[in-house]
Amino acid sequence: MTASTLSAISTAADQDQLGAAAGAGGRRSRKWVRHLPVHVVMAALGLVWVYPLLWALTSSFKTKMDMFGDGPSVLIRSMPQFQNYLDAWTQANFGRYFFNSVVITVLTVVFTVVFTAMAGYALARTHFPGRKVIMVVVAITMFLPRGYTLIPVFDLVYQLYLLNTIWAVVVVQVAGGMIFSTFLFMGYFMSANKELEEAARVDGAGFNRTFLYVMLPTARPMIATVGLFSFISSWNDFIIPLVFTLGRPDLRTIPVGVAALTGGSAGTDWPVLCAASVMALLPIVIVFVVAQRHIIDAFAGAVKG
Amino acid sequence: MTSTTVPGRATRRNASHDRRRVSSHGWKVRWSYIYLLPFMILVALFTIYPIIASIGYSFIKWDGLTAPDGFVGLQNFVQIATDHFFWLSVAHSLWYAAFVVPIQLFIALILALILNRPKFKFTSIYRSLFFLPAVMSPAILAVVFRLLISALGVDWLGDPDVVMWVIIVIGIWQTLGYNLVYFLAGLQTIPYELYEAAEVDGAGWLGRLRHITLPGLKNISVVILLMAILGSLNVFDLVMVLTGGGPYFASSVTNTYIYQLAFGNFYSGAGASSNVEQNVGLASAGSVFYGIMLLGLTLIQFVALARIRKKTAEQNQGAIG
Repeated sequence: MTASTLSAISTAADQDQLGAAAGAGGRRSRKWVRHLPVHVVMAALGLVWVYPLLWALTSSFKTKMDMFGDGPSVLIRSMPQFQNYLDAWTQANFGRYFFNSVVITVLTVVFTVVFTAMAGYALARTHFPGRKVIMVVVAITMFLPRGYTLIPVFDLVYQLYLLNTIWAVVVVQVAGGMIFSTFLFMGYFMSANKELEEAARVDGAGFNRTFLYVMLPTARPMIATVGLFSFISSWNDFIIPLVFTLGRPDLRTIPVGVAALTGGSAGTDWPVLCAASVMALLPIVIVFVVAQRHIIDAFAGAVKG
Repeated sequence: MTSTTVPGRATRRNASHDRRRVSSHGWKVRWSYIYLLPFMILVALFTIYPIIASIGYSFIKWDGLTAPDGFVGLQNFVQIATDHFFWLSVAHSLWYAAFVVPIQLFIALILALILNRPKFKFTSIYRSLFFLPAVMSPAILAVVFRLLISALGVDWLGDPDVVMWVIIVIGIWQTLGYNLVYFLAGLQTIPYELYEAAEVDGAGWLGRLRHITLPGLKNISVVILLMAILGSLNVFDLVMVLTGGGPYFASSVTNTYIYQLAFGNFYSGAGASSNVEQNVGLASAGSVFYGIMLLGLTLIQFVALARIRKKTAEQNQGAIG
């Protein structure tokens, strides 16, 4: 699963690669028209697919009355209620959850990238005894259900005096994504340019220098991939922050905090909850728009590898 | 160790070439261990130890709050194996997977075939629309759906007869994007010369689909199937936030049931499965039980994958030779 195989995936679909094979010949300009019924179906299905998100977005600007009044309409009848966002941020404590989520996600991404790049490089470049054993054990554990280990990990975290701290969430999240990311880095470094490394060694660079100044800079696409995976899974995670901050509502992350709001009484302010949900989803949407191709390639590459 | 080239250094290096190699290898190994240290510690503490400890926990009686009551042998396993609600939850998990996986893979494959067509416009827009829910937090999406369903004025999540179907539909909606992208990735690996050749041979659209596209997707399909099954049997966030397993266990899946056994009803959705008595030993027995089931399933699929790979390799060999 090298970067080169990944980059071909999404681009080729848009290209005219199969155009010649399809035998369209000279009638290419009419293809779009021929595709029109398919486009209508796809657009309709696409709209259905984003409808819940659009609904949350429009509802977040409605008044409480409006939301009950016109049902699942996409239209906003009264003035857009920006107040919902303000209320979510302050009264519903979203600001606090946002801060926790940012801190936990940043720490998780940084530690994941640093530790897995190091481990991946070490596994790819040396043949110390036990290397194979480590990899086999680790590969087997990768396919066990996540929830399986939650109970002993909870006890372990408790005994390490980490329970109900941000570090508990970070360390468990880093450990959770570690194996997969290490394999990604190992795969990259195994196929990486060995001549460059050889040259560095001839120039007298040691293991650390070679890694830090020569190999790591070439691994930038893989750093981005691992970073994105780690960002998405940490930002979206529910069960780990839920379990390890059970006793500290002030340490809740966005998914835990917002989900807990819905468990409350009937008096829950829906438009405010919609505003909170929109704010919770927004960072992912922004990252997705910015790095769309890379994210899709990363996911596609993970299964192809 | 500076990297500047000093005259005379090169010869010295050549003279002691062999010795240097050996010692530099030693260096490498030592640094490798240091590089691996965080990985080893975290994997040992948070992956390998818990797997073993889980088994240990499943033999003790412990409510998770006070001190453990000690070794009880196989009692937890007997209790979990005769627990109606455990089996109900397992049945719901299987039910969820049995509907989500085939429906989702079918839709994803059709969409991938359409989006992979040459000259089809707006591909990346459609792909993004379907993929977006897949990268979003299932917990937050569950919140959105709870609000949406309430706004519709229906009580689907409180109705034991429909609640699982609602969860299945939302499950399909949320995770379809992954499989779409995976199938698209698989389609890209099929060499387009094959289509050219088929064209020359006069194969139609259906013929190309049957003889090139579907066989070409065989390998990756097994991986996609494996991930889809394991993923759906491990559904947690969605169900937890949507219903908490309720009303009265009507949507309880294995993971939510085990969670409630282990950690109680601290967080539960509107119609939580009501007062599961906390019992860490029982929860461990349940997760060991379910873990072994899933591991067995994974192994079966691995064997299947290996056989398909072997067969394909043989076929390719035959085609070349």
